[in-house]
Amino acid sequence: MTKKILLSFPQSATGKPMAMELIKTYNLDFNILKASIDDNVKGTLLLEIMGEEADINAGIVFLRQNQIGVMEIQSVVEVNKEDCVDCGACTAACTVNALEMDENWELIHHQDKCLECMLCVKACPTRAIHALI
Amino acid sequence: MAKTYQEINEKIARGDAVIITAEEVIGIVKERGIKDAADYVDVVTTATFGPMCSSGAFINFGHSDPPIRMGEISLNDVEAYGGLAAVDTYLGATQPSSDKGIEYGGAHVIHDLIAGKEVHLVAKSQGTDCYPRKSIDTWVTLEDLNEAYLFNPRNIYQNYNAAINTSSQRLYTYMGILQPNMGNITYSTSGELSPLLNDPLLKTIGMGTKIFIGGAQGYVSWMGTQFNTAGPRDEKGYPTTPGATLALIGNMKEMNPKYIRGAVYEKYGTSMFVGVGIPIPILNEEMMASVSVENKDLYTNVIDYSVQRKAKPSLKKVSYAELRSGSVDINGKIIKTSPLSSLKMAREIADELSYWMKNGKFYLQEPILSFPMGNSLKGLEINEGGLR
Repeated sequence: MTKKILLSFPQSATGKPMAMELIKTYNLDFNILKASIDDNVKGTLLLEIMGEEADINAGIVFLRQNQIGVMEIQSVVEVNKEDCVDCGACTAACTVNALEMDENWELIHHQDKCLECMLCVKACPTRAIHALI
Repeated sequence: MAKTYQEINEKIARGDAVIITAEEVIGIVKERGIKDAADYVDVVTTATFGPMCSSGAFINFGHSDPPIRMGEISLNDVEAYGGLAAVDTYLGATQPSSDKGIEYGGAHVIHDLIAGKEVHLVAKSQGTDCYPRKSIDTWVTLEDLNEAYLFNPRNIYQNYNAAINTSSQRLYTYMGILQPNMGNITYSTSGELSPLLNDPLLKTIGMGTKIFIGGAQGYVSWMGTQFNTAGPRDEKGYPTTPGATLALIGNMKEMNPKYIRGAVYEKYGTSMFVGVGIPIPILNEEMMASVSVENKDLYTNVIDYSVQRKAKPSLKKVSYAELRSGSVDINGKIIKTSPLSSLKMAREIADELSYWMKNGKFYLQEPILSFPMGNSLKGLEINEGGLR
């Protein structure tokens, strides 16, 4: 199976070869979708991990034991429905139709289709769309 | 049988006026025909909720002690006009803030005031004999202000272009993001629900018409700027290019922050979503025929925004039904379409306005002045030296 997970590394864990453990000990494959370290040496890593479900879960336990925040996500893009006015401007930016209007002209967000180009974040006039990293 | 404004208002007072939205009326006309529907229906509500740059607020702060003649004025670091009397100002919706730029502008200050938030007021002055104070730094809420009303010089365009981009670069415009190589089309209208498309010849909408604006009961105060009633129309009189506009007024103290929202258009600027609803009295069969218009009968032009000139070419004339379908065919290429104004919010406003009237909270106001037909637009000539 494949899961998309967002890891947040506290300063203490930044620099440790955690990802390597996932491959060696837990027999997992992964794709690094995004990686960053901020001014406070806090790291963020967005991974698509592939492997047996039991191995993925064990790997997640291992990461959490090492003070690494693990959040399972479908997309790094989040739409805040409180701020959204359903105008549709983001659907102009989204080339893969992850954001589209339904039959009642309400915005729907197909997280699984998102390619994380982040253009919708810029396109949203009410700034209702945020990127988790 | 013709009806008068007074007769309809009497029905509203009795609670037996028939009030429906401009979308609902389409089915009724199909069912009953124009004549019968005109007898049956008294008022049709129309609405729109879109970005309207030419908007802003007049504000009076009240006098401090000692008083100040405010010269340079800012609200949450957004500059407001200092060229009025001592404590009067005009805050424009598109004015960017000095600290956050277009991400927070005049429209956001207006929204925050309507939402009841405290706003940081800083003003400076030369100091005069009668207004000795030279600076002021305080926080104000909408409640603290003497007057605060929106006065929007140009709102609710009767019709507007759809936008496309034939260049190889992505464009960031007030019509949203336009993908390169005709990657998409954007449009901004509530179409068959839009106020000025339901009364194309402005028979019932003029100075003094009472409206819904931002959740308050406001008025049409004048024709809007760039008011154009001389443009091309189809055989039924509906304009096919940007047409009439309205100047609108409404008391911010009666508004709901849901209906007035700050908007940011990337690499363009700040704008303001304004929610407007206008009731159209069905005085006669002619008005019923006007409001029964459908998206398939309303047309606009797909304009190439990559041409950086005033006159931009049209690639195709399309109906709003085509634009609403999700894609338009241009020379064999299927191009995705996206709206920029919220039809969901517009429907909510039309319903709210209907609810007000059904409950006797809103009455029709007959316009005291009709706006001119055949009013055309001037361009701005560049006259070097000014010797004419």
